[in-house]
Amino acid sequence: MNEQNKQRIYESYLERTHRLGRISVVITLALLLGAPFLIGAYLQAPPDLGAFLKGFLSIGLVYFVSCVAEYLIYVPMLGAGGTYLAFITGNLINMKIPCAVTARDIVGVKSGTPENEIISTLSIAVSSLVTILVLALGVLLLIPLQPFLQSPTLQPAFDNVVPALFGAMACKYYRGNLRIAAVPLLLMALLFTLVPSLTGSTSFMIIPSGAVAIGLAWLCYRREQREQEALK
Amino acid sequence: MNILSQLNSGMLYLICGAVILFVAVMCVVFAVRAWRAGKAVGMDTAKMRRAIVSSATFAVLPSVGILLGVIALSGSLGTPWPWLRLSVIGALHYETQVAEAAAEAAGLPGLSASSMTATAFSTIALLMSVCIIWGMVFSLFNCKSYTRRLSGGAVKKDGRPSALAGFGDRAMTAMFIGLVSAYIGSYIGTFVSGGGLFSFAGSWLPLAVALVGAAAMAVFLLIKEKGKADWVESFSIAGSMLAAMSAAIFLGKLM
Repeated sequence: MNEQNKQRIYESYLERTHRLGRISVVITLALLLGAPFLIGAYLQAPPDLGAFLKGFLSIGLVYFVSCVAEYLIYVPMLGAGGTYLAFITGNLINMKIPCAVTARDIVGVKSGTPENEIISTLSIAVSSLVTILVLALGVLLLIPLQPFLQSPTLQPAFDNVVPALFGAMACKYYRGNLRIAAVPLLLMALLFTLVPSLTGSTSFMIIPSGAVAIGLAWLCYRREQREQEALK
Repeated sequence: MNILSQLNSGMLYLICGAVILFVAVMCVVFAVRAWRAGKAVGMDTAKMRRAIVSSATFAVLPSVGILLGVIALSGSLGTPWPWLRLSVIGALHYETQVAEAAAEAAGLPGLSASSMTATAFSTIALLMSVCIIWGMVFSLFNCKSYTRRLSGGAVKKDGRPSALAGFGDRAMTAMFIGLVSAYIGSYIGTFVSGGGLFSFAGSWLPLAVALVGAAAMAVFLLIKEKGKADWVESFSIAGSMLAAMSAAIFLGKLM
């Protein structure tokens, strides 16, 4: 097969991948956004849109910025088919990205080539299917365990899911970034100590805390850039 | 019927299972198309098979970690919803944070089955769905043009983003540091001033649980680095959370 023919087949594949990707995204969005309303109708308790808006203004904006950054950074690694699937199936940092990069390294394809596009798509599709399968089997096994999981003895554990997560994440993110972490942590500890009523609005406090951390990260980044330029 | 029984009802399994099934079918369709296109452009099928086998084996361990996340969230949100969120689009750290913020916005003292109501749950579910859709929205409108622009050379040879995207990665880390700091700061504030300004009479349990979580994560990172066991990372977040949550059961009895 000559190169021209190969390129024509690949271009046609890419074009149809974008069309299929967009259709899949639209249907998935409709299903995901419709599910809470459907569940609300079943429970005879539709979502409280006022509370939703309040929550969105706090945590939603943070994740909007996070999604922009993830999108700009990861699309170059994923290719077209991989991007649509990865953003539909999630778990990017902890699975899809390392999985796609590992598959590409094992097979030995170069970025930006048709081979990379194919391998990334295969890798993300297969890893997503494995996750769906493992979770489905796990959930099936969880059903008989539900009375145990709901017992009062275990309630302190489930009431502390969030502190458990943030403790683990603090260790992971603070490590190697102490210069950036120290200021927002001290600032927040001081604020919550002096104004204890703020604990009811912790999610709002993410915005100033995140702004301070990003500002410090920017200063460090600029200083490193200047140092690198000076060495050249 | 209590709220957890409602959240674990057959209808919720049906709704969540249907969405997961659709996504699974899409994964199969994308995989089959990619396989056929690979053959059509003359790729070695042995190479494609290696990619499939490596991806399948790579995904098993992180998937078990994600399953532990479903277990962790099932005590407050029931099983079907965390099953959907962590099978499709979500990520463990994201789901827990948003669920907590949504619970707060819905007027609950925190993410807990004891205070959960049906309205709070559907509000939490909607907020969890909306907050993370942006990657999908961007790919809907921008993936085609962005991937075309990238083929013009904005990517380094190793496939990683160019220098322009250099700060983006750091900004994301910094944002998570800010997020974590807000919550850890609130636990410190609760302990120091929760029972009266500087009285040190507030609840110390969230702070203690966070410390156990951090210590468990440190152990995971130590094993990973000293034992050169990269696979440990797949379990680090979920494993640390489960260690800290188990500690909460014992620490709670001391209060």
